[in-house]
Amino acid sequence: MIRWWPVFGLKRRLTEKKEYISPVDLRQPKTGIFNRSLFVYIIDVGSSNALNFEISALESPQYNIHRFGIFLTDSPRHADVLLILGRPVTKMLEPLKETISQLPKPFYTVTIDDHPDQPGLNEYPELPNHIAALTGVPSPDKILGLLLDIAKTKRKES
Amino acid sequence: MKVLIGIVATPEDERLFILDKGKPVLTAVNGKHPEETFGNYSILKQHLSKINDEPMKGPGVFKFRYGPVTAGVREAGCFYLYTYGEKILRATIDISWKQREIAKAMVDKSPETALTMAERICSNFALSHSVAFSRAVEMAVDISPSLQTKNWRTLLIESERIYNHLYVIYKLASAAAQKVLAAHLSALFEEALRLNERLSGSRYLMNINSLGKLNHIPEISNIEKIANKYLAVAKQFTELYKHSLKNYNYLDRLHSAGTLTAEQAEGLGLTGPTLRACGVVDDLNDTTEHLISLPVITQKEGDALARMEVRAEEIVNSCHYLADHLRASDSWYDATEKDVKSHNANGTGYAVVNSPSGAMGYYVEVNDNKMQRVDIFTPSYPGMYAVSQGLEDLIFTDFPFVFESFGVHFADAAI
Repeated sequence: MIRWWPVFGLKRRLTEKKEYISPVDLRQPKTGIFNRSLFVYIIDVGSSNALNFEISALESPQYNIHRFGIFLTDSPRHADVLLILGRPVTKMLEPLKETISQLPKPFYTVTIDDHPDQPGLNEYPELPNHIAALTGVPSPDKILGLLLDIAKTKRKES
Repeated sequence: MKVLIGIVATPEDERLFILDKGKPVLTAVNGKHPEETFGNYSILKQHLSKINDEPMKGPGVFKFRYGPVTAGVREAGCFYLYTYGEKILRATIDISWKQREIAKAMVDKSPETALTMAERICSNFALSHSVAFSRAVEMAVDISPSLQTKNWRTLLIESERIYNHLYVIYKLASAAAQKVLAAHLSALFEEALRLNERLSGSRYLMNINSLGKLNHIPEISNIEKIANKYLAVAKQFTELYKHSLKNYNYLDRLHSAGTLTAEQAEGLGLTGPTLRACGVVDDLNDTTEHLISLPVITQKEGDALARMEVRAEEIVNSCHYLADHLRASDSWYDATEKDVKSHNANGTGYAVVNSPSGAMGYYVEVNDNKMQRVDIFTPSYPGMYAVSQGLEDLIFTDFPFVFESFGVHFADAAI
């Protein structure tokens, strides 16, 4: 017999109510245009994969990013923020530039350099509207804090 | 059972890095024909960055590129898919988009610096890389880690297995549009990462392992709570898993997707859950030097469903194993832990670790306390061949089930 999923775990309260603090200050003033929603496109340009895992963890019910109007999008053409994971390997420089050229204005770029002292990787090319640069592997609550800062949304549960 | 893990070649000679009944050995080729014994010899010998790269022609057949920038495969990697419309006729995989030349960059570095670099090759396998590298260097410079270090390494590898397996099953559920199942699994995945942090100080178990010892021993006072949390993860996962096995929409998507026979899997040199899902009992658990071995979980079908089932049972086993041994961990205390010393500044070493996706091998040469050579053999490289083979003759909607079920990563394949 097929069991009905929608009632499974319905009583569990997985979403956490807490304050999410960004680990860095924004480099540019916010536009305020993303107050109601923020669509984020992820590009991995040479990360060690921990950041990809952290983005997957960010999508978990504990963070419930949709309640803040934050969504991960499948196309750069729908994105307000380009989240760049890792420092680029040479071959990913062109795809990165091409992806940036596909972003609709206004947009921001955010970099997370997971291992700043890792040899063999390139410096970032000139990034337009580079609003924040993180280093290390920030946990999902820190990434969420940054996105909330960019979106200018109230930090607590809306 | 003998598995060819890698080939250690110099201009003068060539040696085979073999896992023989769970023990890593290095043997000279000496005019023998290893390609007759090991189906994966030519794969490892060529070590191509474009896998299965043979153009295909036919009526209406065309090629299109999927990646390196796509939401479907988030990592920087690229597929070239040959098709005439719906069926994937051939899948070429290009891993060079993630090539960082880390093994080469390790040369001339101190073993300690190279260890940090090993952890960063593929951070979700950070501990497996770290332990395999450490064991190889310890063999080279004659360091004997304490029992306490060995035991903790074994336990931490199991925590790495738990969150990686949860991630794979979560991705499979997402791909099958099982939203409720995927949401609960992602919650468990996040919980497992938090447990890693409580146990080791890092969500990816980084910076805890060192050469011959651990950088710090997990806080004993929290152990009981952490052990109980692992049991809770096992309980919640079992509940979800049993529920998912009654959902035929989900099972039908995974069934017959990316099927490999035992002969095909052995021919590609696969190890770990992928091989075990084909019904082969491997010896990877024997790479553990101590503590009681976990049971070897196998399935027969060799498809995405079988791989998921193997991983699911391993999650539960690993959680119970961790809980049991964490509670006994206070008896491992070893006062000699801090006095570990190397007896040689030069030497050659090799080791294999049972990583979440299969055998992870390291071959190292150390000279005057500097890395002279590092060869890294990861499960994701042969795994990419398996993905390519598994995709053939399937339709496009099966793509994520095949790719995710193998648990391979471009960061791990392209070193």
